[in-house]
Formats: sequence, structure tokens, C-alpha cells
Amino acid sequence: MLNDIFNILLPHMCLGGFIILLLVLSIVLHPRLYRYARLVAAVGIVSSIVLLSTVQTEPQYFGFQNSIMSDSYTLLFDFMILLCGFFVAILSRNLVKTIKGNAYTFYAILLTALFAGINIVSANDFLTLFVSIELLSFSTYFLIAARKGYYSKEASFKYLLTSAVSTGIFLFGVSYMYGITGSLNLSDIYEIITNQESSLMYSISSIMIILGIISKLAVFPFANWIIDVYKGSETSILAFLSTVPKLAVFAIVCRLLVFPLNNSFELTFVIAIAALFTAFWANTYAIREKNVKVILACSASANASYALLTASLVSVYNLSTVIFYLICYVFMNIAAFAFLNIYGDKNSMNVEDFQGLFTKNHGLVGAYAISIIALAGIPITSGFIAKIYLFSAIANSGLIFVPFLLALLLLTVVALYYYLKILLPLFKECDKNENTTDLKAVFSQKFVLVSAAIITLIIGIYPEILIELCRLIAYNI
Amino acid sequence: METFLSIPFLIFLPLVISLLLISPLFTKNEIIVRRFSKGVFTFHFLYTLLMLACFDKTNPYVSEIHFFGLDWVQSLGIKFIFQIDSVSMILTVLTSFVFLLASIASKFNIRENQKFYYSMLFLLMSATLGIFTSADMFVFFLFWELELIPAYFLIGGWQTFRSEEESSKAKASAVKFVLFTFLGSMVMLLGILLLHYYNYVSNGILSASFSDIIDSPIPAAIQNLIAICLIIGFGVKLPIIPLHSWLPDAHTNAPTPVSMVLAGILLKTGAYGIYRFNYETMPESFRVLAPYLAVLALINIIYTALVAYAQVDIKRIIAYSSISNMGLILLGMCAYNQIGFSASVFHMVAHALVTCGLFMIAGIVYLRCKDRNINTLSGIAAYMPRLFGFSVIIVLASIGVPLFAPFISEILTIIGALNSELSELSKMAALFSLPLLIISSCYMLKFLHKGFFGEGKEEYAKINDITVHEFVVLGAVLAGLIIFGLYPEAILGMI
Repeated sequence: MLNDIFNILLPHMCLGGFIILLLVLSIVLHPRLYRYARLVAAVGIVSSIVLLSTVQTEPQYFGFQNSIMSDSYTLLFDFMILLCGFFVAILSRNLVKTIKGNAYTFYAILLTALFAGINIVSANDFLTLFVSIELLSFSTYFLIAARKGYYSKEASFKYLLTSAVSTGIFLFGVSYMYGITGSLNLSDIYEIITNQESSLMYSISSIMIILGIISKLAVFPFANWIIDVYKGSETSILAFLSTVPKLAVFAIVCRLLVFPLNNSFELTFVIAIAALFTAFWANTYAIREKNVKVILACSASANASYALLTASLVSVYNLSTVIFYLICYVFMNIAAFAFLNIYGDKNSMNVEDFQGLFTKNHGLVGAYAISIIALAGIPITSGFIAKIYLFSAIANSGLIFVPFLLALLLLTVVALYYYLKILLPLFKECDKNENTTDLKAVFSQKFVLVSAAIITLIIGIYPEILIELCRLIAYNI
Repeated sequence: METFLSIPFLIFLPLVISLLLISPLFTKNEIIVRRFSKGVFTFHFLYTLLMLACFDKTNPYVSEIHFFGLDWVQSLGIKFIFQIDSVSMILTVLTSFVFLLASIASKFNIRENQKFYYSMLFLLMSATLGIFTSADMFVFFLFWELELIPAYFLIGGWQTFRSEEESSKAKASAVKFVLFTFLGSMVMLLGILLLHYYNYVSNGILSASFSDIIDSPIPAAIQNLIAICLIIGFGVKLPIIPLHSWLPDAHTNAPTPVSMVLAGILLKTGAYGIYRFNYETMPESFRVLAPYLAVLALINIIYTALVAYAQVDIKRIIAYSSISNMGLILLGMCAYNQIGFSASVFHMVAHALVTCGLFMIAGIVYLRCKDRNINTLSGIAAYMPRLFGFSVIIVLASIGVPLFAPFISEILTIIGALNSELSELSKMAALFSLPLLIISSCYMLKFLHKGFFGEGKEEYAKINDITVHEFVVLGAVLAGLIIFGLYPEAILGMI
């Protein structure tokens, strides 16, 4: 067991240590010293990122009676999750100001969520997976509720209800799977399944497992929570919600689809139709919506469904495109929410409120515009390459999926409409005399916004290195 | 000499200038910005002329950009590769010329925020040059999408009189333009992705460059599916009815120089796309689809000419006449023979010149009289004799009077379509498109008659005739029309 810890679990242990440290500090320290909480959390995440270098990836390592594994695939996702966690931690300055006394607890919960995220990625056992997912959900309830006011509590409660139902469905599927195979271990199930004929029971159980997990991505049938949750949460928490659970869930869904659940023909179509339905729902819902947060919620749901549709058509090439898409996508989202964070949570977030911001804040609005343009998939940003690469995977999967692809492509036109709705007011000309808002940003917010936007641009201009990395990792899964 | 000629320089010079102009380091002095931009446009035009002079049609210019010694996206086989063959060469020179004219015409129309305006104009130029010269499908698509950003700002950003109503109308039509184009390009992307994949399956080469795809043995049914997707994509830009409804709004509400660029160059990107993808790269499926396209082209020609006759706004008349003329270009291409094809390329040049001249005239009239309605305009001729002279000649040229370039291209198009060996449909289309010449003379002469003749109004007494800048633009257009009308071999010989 000690061997396992030193071989693959040092980052997890480091995060765990810092969680305990933060909890202890929250009891010991005076609430006046809340400012240092952010620093401690950031140090914890960074040291965890550094410790990722000690993880053994080649050959694959299985620890704790095969319930935890590690390879280059998990390493990449761990890194991305921790990086997003770092960005969220330094973005959450404004939020923490409002809950001074609970700052240390807040960061302890954030680190717990990250811990759960990297645990989901490396789970090799349905039990570990279940516990990690629950851990992630529970910390997310508290993070959503961290903002002051009624709406955040309502959002948190809605998320709790949806999660509870979807967890029930997931567990139901797992119990069937245990009934068929007599094992909870993913590798064992894979071995048993490959030697068996696919049965109806197996298909039903796979469908339930996947539908239960993907509720975190806001995919049909559990999609509606995302509107209320995004409306009620603070922007730095949104940066968390739209990246960390998404990365973790995609990592494990792709692994499940490639290994234990790859024997079910029906599953592909169920996911594809659910994804298509979600894309349709999310894109059309956003047309009439005025709140930027809700529009971005719909965009998050729609983007997840594009990637999920591709992931459901299992192949190595498709997997590499999904990984690439996710990496591009999280940077765009972090940049977008960083800007909303700078804009301030006290103001209402209607699209008209952003009018004419460009006249006084060229740099900040420019970076935000880059992220929105990237979400819409217009060159020369990473969104353009990601879209082409992702959709090329669907096009390569056979003529039967061409109608799906056509539908998705037409829905991206609808998506462009609501992205334009976000973008255009920013550039509206205002008279210089009119008092347009002059945004005040501190260094950490500017750092997150600008670095995420620059990464988006760089990937858009020269994507080859990242694509090559994604292909390598997809081959090594 | 050859060492000085570089395609990347040709394409990326405007891009670099665009970034330079938008950067806060560059001077804010509007006059310097305007003169600097005009200088760069002139230099660019001279440079393309130099390339044209050294051009050898058997030996096209090819250039490939490597990133750290690698292709751009190796895993998809995307190479940053450019090629200028004769059609690209003609359209490149045309692009440079029209942008130069537009920059000269901008003086009186664009009076504020010129730094951003010229920056967007250069970006648009870079994107269109990229479209005309790229030899890789995905690079083509990249420039195709890149065009959206500057085109949006140019259509919606600057109006002649800056009124609230004008501005909101222009913004709405810019959004319409972007959404329509994006819709088309998404369908086109489907075609490109399928073409890329099935070429890989049947040819075994993971590549997106046109030279690797030509005549690839893709099954006929799939090839037709791909071709239809691509034609829908280009059909939005061309435009083919019923995908045209963005065009009249965008062209009418854009400021004059932008209308010139839109009608002169951007419409041609659609025709060029059909040539590059369907005509040249997938001839098999084009031969199957060409007769039906010819019928669509005929509908384009006749229907929009009739609609143009019913319009009262002079810019709308010109916009609809553009659609009608693009139908003629499509008809020439669908003939699928040498005459029809060279006629259609020739008509691209001729129509670009004519439409630039017409939009310039409309712009001048609108600027002076603050009105574009032909029912309320009258008797301008008496107050602006020089404009009247130019208008008469350009209008006559546009309806296909001999001595001018459109005459040659219209006649050649119809001859080409009549000689088409594909199907009787093309010949029928050619015969039925003859009435176009009559209808087009009707609406163009109506414009001339109602606008310029008749009794002059009192408020026109103060307006002055065309200035030097406008004279230069109209003169250049006229010179081009006459030169190519008298010596069509200059273009036809190149193809």
C-alpha cells in the first residue's frame, strides 16, 4: 500500500494534506486573516501539480487491489483538472471577500472537489468511481451555495435533487452490471464482457450507468438543472463548474465507453440521440435568453453534447479529438468566466448591460471577445481547429452519422446567433462623454483572463503539438 | 526577378498592415491613416501587376509555409499551401484593384474611426486573397470563415449619414449576412469533411490539398452528396436562389466602398469555390449536377432581373442585378466547356468593374441628394453633367452594349451554354436567358431615366459635381471596361 502511494498517489495525498491543513487553519486562525486562505490553496494545488511528475505512467500502474490506476491518459486529465482548479482558486477572490469567516473552509471544499475530480479520472472500480462522484457532487453543492443570497441556495438544492436521482440511476445500472459479471472492477468486467455475447441486460445496465454519469454534463435527460445553477452561482464557481466536473466526467465516460461498456450497440445510439436532443434544446433555449450566464450555460450544455456524440462513436481517432476539444474548450470557458468575474457579480448580467465596454477597456474586452469567438468556432482561435477536428471524427464514423453531423453543424449556426448576442453590445459605439463603466481588475483576474485567451490564440495558430499529444495519449489508453 | 515574388507576402502583407493599424502604437491622425492605407493598397496593386507580368500559365506559382519544419496540422494532412494558377492570378489582380478603388472611394463616405475601418478592410483583403490562392481545402475554409469578422464590422459599422435608423438597419443586415454565410459554410464544412475522409479511404493519402483530391475514385453517390453540400455552401455566397435573401439588405445598407467590395469581390468567392471544388476537383459529379445548376442559374437570371425592375431604391436595383449577373457566371460554368468557362471568368472581371462603377454612382448620388429612391430623384443630369456622362456609359456597358467588356462575356456565355454537350437543359437555359438582356436594359435604363432626366429640384442647386477622387474611381472602371471590351484576349488568352 505504501508502494501504491509513492508510485501514483502523491498528488492526491498532497491535496489531502492541504485540505486537512486548511480545515485546521479555519479553526485556529482569526477570520481577519482570510486573505491567506487563497494563497494556501494555490500553493496546495501547485505543489500537487508539481508532484504529478512523480506519477508512474509507463507501464500502466494498478494500485489498491486494482481499484486505482494510472497512465498517461489519467495524468493529462489530472493536470488539466488541477490547472483549472488553480485558475478557479485565484479567481475566487471576490467571492471569498463576502464570506470572510468561512474562507478557509471554502478552499478546503474546493480542494476536496479537485481531489474528487482526479480520483474519478483514475478510478478503475465502480465503487471508487461512485464514492468519488459523490464526493465531487457534495463539494459542488457547497461551492454553489457559497454565494450570498437566496438564489444560490435554490440552485444548490436543485443540483442536489438532480444529482440524487441521477446517482440512483447510475447505481441501478452498476447493480445490474454486478449481476451480469460478478465484478465491480473495470478491467475484470472488460475481460468478461469481451468473451460474452452482448445481452439486453448488459445494454440496459450500460445505458443506465452512462445516463447517470452524464447528468454532470447537463445532457438530456438531466439537463435542466444547468439553467438555474448557472443563474444562481458566482462567476468563479461557474469557471469551476464548466471545467472540472466536465473534464473528470469525460475522462471516465471515455474510458468506460472504450473498455467495459464497448460491447453494446444500443448504447451508441442512445447517447447519440440524447446528445443531439441536448444540442437542440440548449441551442434553441439560448435564442430568447438575455442573461449572459444562462447563455453560457446553454453553450456549456451544447458543447458537452457535441463532444459526447463524438465520444460515443468509439475509436482512437475520436478519442483524441474529444481530448483536444476538451482542452481547447476549458481555456475558452475560463477566459469567458474570468471576464464576467472582473465585470462583477453585483451588476445584472443582461447582454444590454455590457454595452460599449470596448471603448474604455480594449485589452480585457478583446480577450473576452477572443474567448467568445473561439466558442463560436471562428478562426484564428482554438475553437475553429477544435470544431473541425471534432466534427471530422463524426464524418469519419460512417455515412449513417452524416445526418447527426448535419444537424450539429446547423445547430452551431444557431449558436453563432447567441454568441453574437453576447459579443455585439460590447462593441456598440458610445459617446466618450457618456459614463461607460471602467472595469477595475486586479492582477490575478487579469492574469487568468489574458493567459487563457493567449493559450486559445496560440492553439488556434499552431495546434500541431497539442494534437500530436492528444493522439499519443489516445493511443496509450 | 522571380525571387521577389512571394505568395505569402501577397496574402499576409494586408494582414500585417491590419494588425499594425489596429495597434495603439500607430498614429491616430486620420489623414495619415487614410493616406498610408491608400499607399499600401497602391503598392499591393503594383505588386500583383508585377506578379501578373512574370506569370507563366504553364508554370503556376506555388508556395508552402512550414511551421518548425512541419505541416500545419499533420494529423489531418492540412498543409499551409498556396497556388496561383491563371484563374487565381486574374482574381488576385482584380481583388487588389477593387480594394484600391474602394480605398479611394472611402474618402467621402467614411469619416470616423478610420483606423478601425482600414484595419478591417485590410483584414478582409487578406481573407479574400487567401480564398483565391489557397490550395488546401481547410486553409480555404479558414480564410472563408475569417472573412466573417471584417465583413460584419464593415457592413454594420459605418453609414453615410450616421442616423439611428440607418445604423440599426445596417447592423441587422450585417447579422443576417453573418448568419447566412455561416449557415452556408457549415454545410460546406460537412462536404469538406466527407471529401477529406472519402479521399483518404479511396486514395490512401491523408491530404486536404486539391492536387491530391482531383479525380479521386470516390463512389459516385457519395461524390454527388459531397458536391451538393459544397454547392449549397457556395450558393449562399454566390448567391443561388433561394439562398439570396441576405444580399440585397447587406449591399444596400453597407457604405458605398464596402458595397463595391462585397459585390465586386465577395460574390466572386462563391463562384471561385464552385470552380475550385466542383468544376476542377470533382468533375465527375459536376457533370451530373451541371444541367440542374444551369436551370437554377436561369431562375437566378430571370427572377432577380424581374425583381430588380420592381425596386425603387437604386442600391437595391444594383444588388439584384448583381444576383442576376452571378447567375450568368454560373450558367457559363455549367456549360462545362472551354468557351463557357473562360466566359464565366471573364464575366467575373467585367461584372466586378461594372458593379463597382454602379455602386460608386449610387453612392455619389446618395451623398449629394440624400436620397436613393428613383421616384423622388429627378433631373440630376443638369446639376452633375460629368457624373451623368459616366453614368450613361457605365449603364450602357452593364446592359451589354458592344465595345465594353460585359458584351463579350454575355455573348460568350450564351455561345458556351449552347455548345454544351452535357444535356439539353443547358441549351434551353441559354436560350431562355436571352430575355435577360432586355429586362436588364429595362431596369438599368429606368434607373438612368428616372434619376437623371426630368425636371431638376431646387434643393439640388447647391450640389457640386464629382470630385477628383470620384473621377479617378469612375475613370479607372471605365478604362478597364473599354480595354477588356476592345481586347478580351488579355483575359481569355490567360485561361
